[in-house]
Amino acid sequence: MTWTRSALGVLALGTSALLLTGCGASGDGGGGGNGGGANDGTGEITGSIEIAWWGGDARNEKTNAVIDMFVEANEGVEANGQSADFQAYFDRLNVQAASQSLPCAVQLQGRQLNDYTSRDLLLPLDPMIESGAIDVSDIPEAVVDAGRGEDGNLYFLPYGAAYDAVGINTTLAEQAGVELPEEGYTWDDFVTFLEDAAAGLPEGTRAIDSNGGRPNFFIGWTQANGKTLFSEDGKLGFSQDDLVEYWTMWEDLREAGVTETAERTAEEPSGPDQGYFANGQLMSDTIPGNALTPVTAVLEGKGEGHEVTTIAYPSGPEGSGNALYPSGFAIPASCDNVPTAAAFVDFFTNDMEAGLVFASDNGAATNTAVLEAQLADPELSETKKHELELFQEIVANDPPTIVFPPGYQATFEAAFRQAYEQIAFGNQSVEEAAAAFIEQANAGLGG
Amino acid sequence: MTQQLAPGIIADAPGSQWSKGTRSRSKRREALVALLFLTPWLIGLVLLTLGPMLYSLYLSFTDYDLLSAPTWVGLDNFVEMTTDPRFLASVGVTLIYVAVSVPLLLVVSMLVALLLNSKMKFLTGYRALFYLPSLIGASVAIAALWRQVFGDEGLLNAFLAFLGIEHGSWVGNPDTALGTIVVLTVWAFGSTMIIFLAGLRQVPGELYEAASVDGAGPLRRFFSITVPMLTPLIFFNALMGTINAFQAFTGAYVISGGTGGPVNSTLFYTLYLYQRGFAQLDMGYASAMAWLLVLVLAAFTALFFWSSRYWVFYGDK
Repeated sequence: MTWTRSALGVLALGTSALLLTGCGASGDGGGGGNGGGANDGTGEITGSIEIAWWGGDARNEKTNAVIDMFVEANEGVEANGQSADFQAYFDRLNVQAASQSLPCAVQLQGRQLNDYTSRDLLLPLDPMIESGAIDVSDIPEAVVDAGRGEDGNLYFLPYGAAYDAVGINTTLAEQAGVELPEEGYTWDDFVTFLEDAAAGLPEGTRAIDSNGGRPNFFIGWTQANGKTLFSEDGKLGFSQDDLVEYWTMWEDLREAGVTETAERTAEEPSGPDQGYFANGQLMSDTIPGNALTPVTAVLEGKGEGHEVTTIAYPSGPEGSGNALYPSGFAIPASCDNVPTAAAFVDFFTNDMEAGLVFASDNGAATNTAVLEAQLADPELSETKKHELELFQEIVANDPPTIVFPPGYQATFEAAFRQAYEQIAFGNQSVEEAAAAFIEQANAGLGG
Repeated sequence: MTQQLAPGIIADAPGSQWSKGTRSRSKRREALVALLFLTPWLIGLVLLTLGPMLYSLYLSFTDYDLLSAPTWVGLDNFVEMTTDPRFLASVGVTLIYVAVSVPLLLVVSMLVALLLNSKMKFLTGYRALFYLPSLIGASVAIAALWRQVFGDEGLLNAFLAFLGIEHGSWVGNPDTALGTIVVLTVWAFGSTMIIFLAGLRQVPGELYEAASVDGAGPLRRFFSITVPMLTPLIFFNALMGTINAFQAFTGAYVISGGTGGPVNSTLFYTLYLYQRGFAQLDMGYASAMAWLLVLVLAAFTALFFWSSRYWVFYGDK
């Protein structure tokens, strides 16, 4: 044997050094100038830009097709796309923001916008609208305003307005012998609907996912019941009692076997086209209104003849429980090719051909001309038509646009899920978890 | 997240057979040449490792959100750790993981190494096969596959149902989720096993022969010859395994979908560090956590080396 103490020591130290540096060099100081002065987005449209968005396969395909059209329409322009799942997308965006390497066109939503505006990472688009680089003449003013930050500047141009809807597997509902809730139904009606269905559903299926840990329904519930989600200073606007009432409702459903189990919900893959609803194992779930098309496609692929539809969220004494979530492209302050980026933002939102190719994949097109053209298209699929019509129905009820404070995604969403998990797995009472959540959320919100 | 233990360069003490003048001149030139060849590595060390490390040490005393300038907060980050429930949960999960996965990994790789050290047909083929998992074990694809194996509708439950046993999800249950990651770690035993196998090959055959002549059975031979002769490698593998386990990340990240759930049951230290740093943009806190990990690892390593004098047998002594 020739293992000597020193040789082994060197080997061990060398290897551990490699392991320790395995995480790679990070955090290179950040800082850097954001450059002063307004950029009006005029200039030569040439060179290359990066474009980033979130979404599944179907959206990637459509977005790439639009990018190809943009490149074709503008000689000398190169554009590269990068996409990821919703959650992973924002993790990556933060890293890119820190290293000043944000793509020139980044897709954003109101839920995260103020994380970026509060740190001056985005260019105001107003000067580009004034200069004519970006056209907003076909977009309703109220919708454009949804892209404004806390300081009133426009930071992303909404191209699509999404909403959350209740997806219903009508095949399963029929088997369970229940009628779909009628327009204007309340939360009580909804709970009764779920309980009735649970009794008659075939084995291996449940009435709804365990939804206590997801903010989507909670936002709808607060709107319907006239509660405030966030106060003026960016903290929580609802009380502990409100949250206890809400979580108790879900716990009762879960314990009665109406919802999916805590275990299965914990391991459910993210993305509306990956989850149990898209697999035909749930009679209903909250899904983005525009997910009806991909979910229908997944269920068709399974060939079990399941059909799905969407209905609006339950209402309450204070009216509709629906909210609009516009998405659009923003241009980071670190972008070195603003004219091309502005041209892309304009193209994506306003170009008729592009709009028809993208087909309101991420919420109904905000450009009214594009939306009308889509609705008039005889080849529009039934599901897409339903998505757009439900959008119009929801818009007719004057839904609010919620201003999400900085830290919403990182603090509120994560802590909300964790707190409800503590209840569902029996570690904490509803009251304990609600108190802990409120303390944790208020500590992290409002920047 | 960039840390490094001091690299050990052990040079032999110079002899002095020759006259000092010529000796020192050629020596100096040799040193220069050596430095020249080392330059690429030195530049890398200083720019890519030491620099960021020192910067992260500074950041650990600041409040830094990645996107705006850091502000000095002294020891606040370290004080916060003592009352942060998720931090404490991550420490608990990591310690359990280290305590369970490292011994298991050592035992399993030793057993496989013993098996592969015997004389049988197609031995090289088996060896390659057994090594294979460790090549892919750390990959995202395998961790994703793990969800399919241990999920509610996974392979394992299908097999159990075949035997008539009903079991819920292994990944979605807080009591078993960590176990699935331990299994993933142990499954990738290849490199540890190869090191043991190399050691087994070097144990002199005459020792076994002599022991057999004296009437020692296989168990006795294993514990009195094989294990003592292998202690340097057991030491090495245990140390590497421990350092590795403290830094486990990929499996937990992929299997839990980045959440560390259910109920923090797979919230590894590095996963929480990542969440604080890159999701919640608390780079100062994340840096403080990274440095605490460095200190703990350094302490563990020192403890290992100190203890080795009592149980590690070196051939050269």
